[in-house]
Amino acid sequence: MYCHTPCGPWSTVVHYTWNRVPLGMQTKPDLCDELCLIDVMEDKLKGEVMDLQHGSLFCKTHKIVGDKDYSTTAHSKVVVVTAGARQQEGESRLNLVQRNVNIFKFIIPQIVKYSPNAILLVVSNPVDILTYVAWKLSGFPRHRVIGSGTNLDSGRFRHLMGEKLHLHPSSCHGWIIGEHGDSSVPVWSGVNVAGVSLKGLNPDMGTDADKEDWKHVHKMVVNGAYEVIKLKGYTSWAIGMSVADLVESILKNLHKVHPVSTLVKGMHGVKEEVFLSVPCVLGNSGLTDIIHMTLKPEEEKQLSNSAETLWGVQKELTL
Amino acid sequence: MSSVMQKLLTPVASGPAEPPRNKVTVVGVGMVGMACAVSVLLRDLADELALVDVMEDKLKGEMMDLQHGSLFLKTSKIVADKDYAVTANSRIVVVSAGVRQQEGESRLNLVQRNVNIFKHIIPQIVKHSPNCTLIVVSNPVDVLTYVTWKLSGLPKHRVIGSGTNLDSARFRFLMAERLGIHASSFNGWVLGEHGDTSVPVWSGVNVAGVNLQKLNPEFGLDGDKEDWKATHKAVVDSAYEVIKLKGYTNWAIGLSVADLTESIIKNMSRIHPVSTMVKDMYGIGEEVFLSLPCVLNSNGVGSVINMTLTDAEVGQLKKSADTLWGIQKDLKDI
Repeated sequence: MYCHTPCGPWSTVVHYTWNRVPLGMQTKPDLCDELCLIDVMEDKLKGEVMDLQHGSLFCKTHKIVGDKDYSTTAHSKVVVVTAGARQQEGESRLNLVQRNVNIFKFIIPQIVKYSPNAILLVVSNPVDILTYVAWKLSGFPRHRVIGSGTNLDSGRFRHLMGEKLHLHPSSCHGWIIGEHGDSSVPVWSGVNVAGVSLKGLNPDMGTDADKEDWKHVHKMVVNGAYEVIKLKGYTSWAIGMSVADLVESILKNLHKVHPVSTLVKGMHGVKEEVFLSVPCVLGNSGLTDIIHMTLKPEEEKQLSNSAETLWGVQKELTL
Repeated sequence: MSSVMQKLLTPVASGPAEPPRNKVTVVGVGMVGMACAVSVLLRDLADELALVDVMEDKLKGEMMDLQHGSLFLKTSKIVADKDYAVTANSRIVVVSAGVRQQEGESRLNLVQRNVNIFKHIIPQIVKHSPNCTLIVVSNPVDVLTYVTWKLSGLPKHRVIGSGTNLDSARFRFLMAERLGIHASSFNGWVLGEHGDTSVPVWSGVNVAGVNLQKLNPEFGLDGDKEDWKATHKAVVDSAYEVIKLKGYTNWAIGLSVADLTESIIKNMSRIHPVSTMVKDMYGIGEEVFLSLPCVLNSNGVGSVINMTLTDAEVGQLKKSADTLWGIQKDLKDI
């Protein structure tokens, strides 16, 4: 039993098919007072719930439940959606689409039914398209449907940048925006350490002429997922931690800026109703503001090209 | 007849206790020192905490009060004494000893009073922890970090002043408030002297890589309709304002010191604006300490970031250096 106060218990629902986000979230223990897991695979679900419950002594989340029935998810503040098929080795994200749309047509209305005021955080790939799908299917206002987007890509970029400069990633600032995937856009002009623009020090940064080949850093970000999948079969820890980071900003009303996938129609030359990652402010009402980046013409072009590609796929979907 | 303990426990491992690996000492148990100590404890940074002061009762009372919180902490040993032997084997020593600013008193006025105190403390610290990194907090911090460096004989990368770490934190907080975002998402650096003549590097200020000066070319200048410069002035005035209201400042400085301690103890190589020896940088010819962005790791200051500063900003740093040297050259016995 949980107490039905007007603000509701802050439970986070994780719908998962492989064991990643719950454990990623354990790196930020004590984020929520109640955790609920949902899946169709009943045994796997029960096993995962029990395993987490057995760790209760070491946690501050007093209630961990799981069921295939969505009524268990009632009164969630944040719902993280990781459901769906995962990328196979070598498979691009866009190929997963229709498989995952059909799954969403089942789960999204159920989530909405039991938590009409929740904030949806979509992780399943291709995340930008599926965030659009979740938005359409849920009928939620756009500030309550967020895609994990390039939060992870930017995390990977800052890690690699840290390795190159022998600095901690949190002191390396760089933003990857746009599509989460092959055509993500590194905003070279913003890359800085202590406010010192790296492109100001090395004007060739991000171009093919660059002797330090920073462009390769971005390429490693794009390929990062494929490489991990090739080695261990899937990626889990980094995405889990990045999602926990987003959930923390929401639940603690931090108003931190994160690159996440949101509706970008009308911005940066995008004409279609698509979701792409741009820096957004996250608080307890969801996505409260978008940071308007000053992009170079070629960066804007990349965004509008992504938008066209995504729309090309989206318009063929049966929702 | 065997005691309860003998009946209860069967010892397995005997021998002398292992020395601490992450011992932090705080010198001075005034409001600032205790705020530093508590911030370090609450962040689980140290496996041992030592406190030193001359006021014996106050010292013992503070130690006991912390020890009584042990159940809720992960720092298994908290000790205190006026004898510096208690500080032996520290990784980090935070120096907050000294007299504090009175209402309306500028930091530079405190100087000689605090130099005399440091002549007593610093050699004792180094004697018992020759490999430590010193973090100086007492004001005027830039001068006193110089004094500490001279008195300690330690290499310059192991003597840091808390410097403008706090000014930058105040700056980021006040600026972020204007934009409705979290301070950690607002990137801005205040460098140079901790105090009245600190230098906000307007050209580097950015949110999500978006340079604010490019959005508003008047950013930080006098003609700016949005008067962003006023926010830096508020940073400079904020210590005085808090002192006027509550008599002293302590929480923010305590948290900022714990932040520095974390980077060093965990060998993180994070960048912080702290006071370091800046001779031969930016045309500065004297041995003075000013805040610049420094990479902090287990060595102390691993490296310093070379900022791209405007001529005006470099001029401000040089002017601060001259002012500080003007004071330092008259100090006795260091």
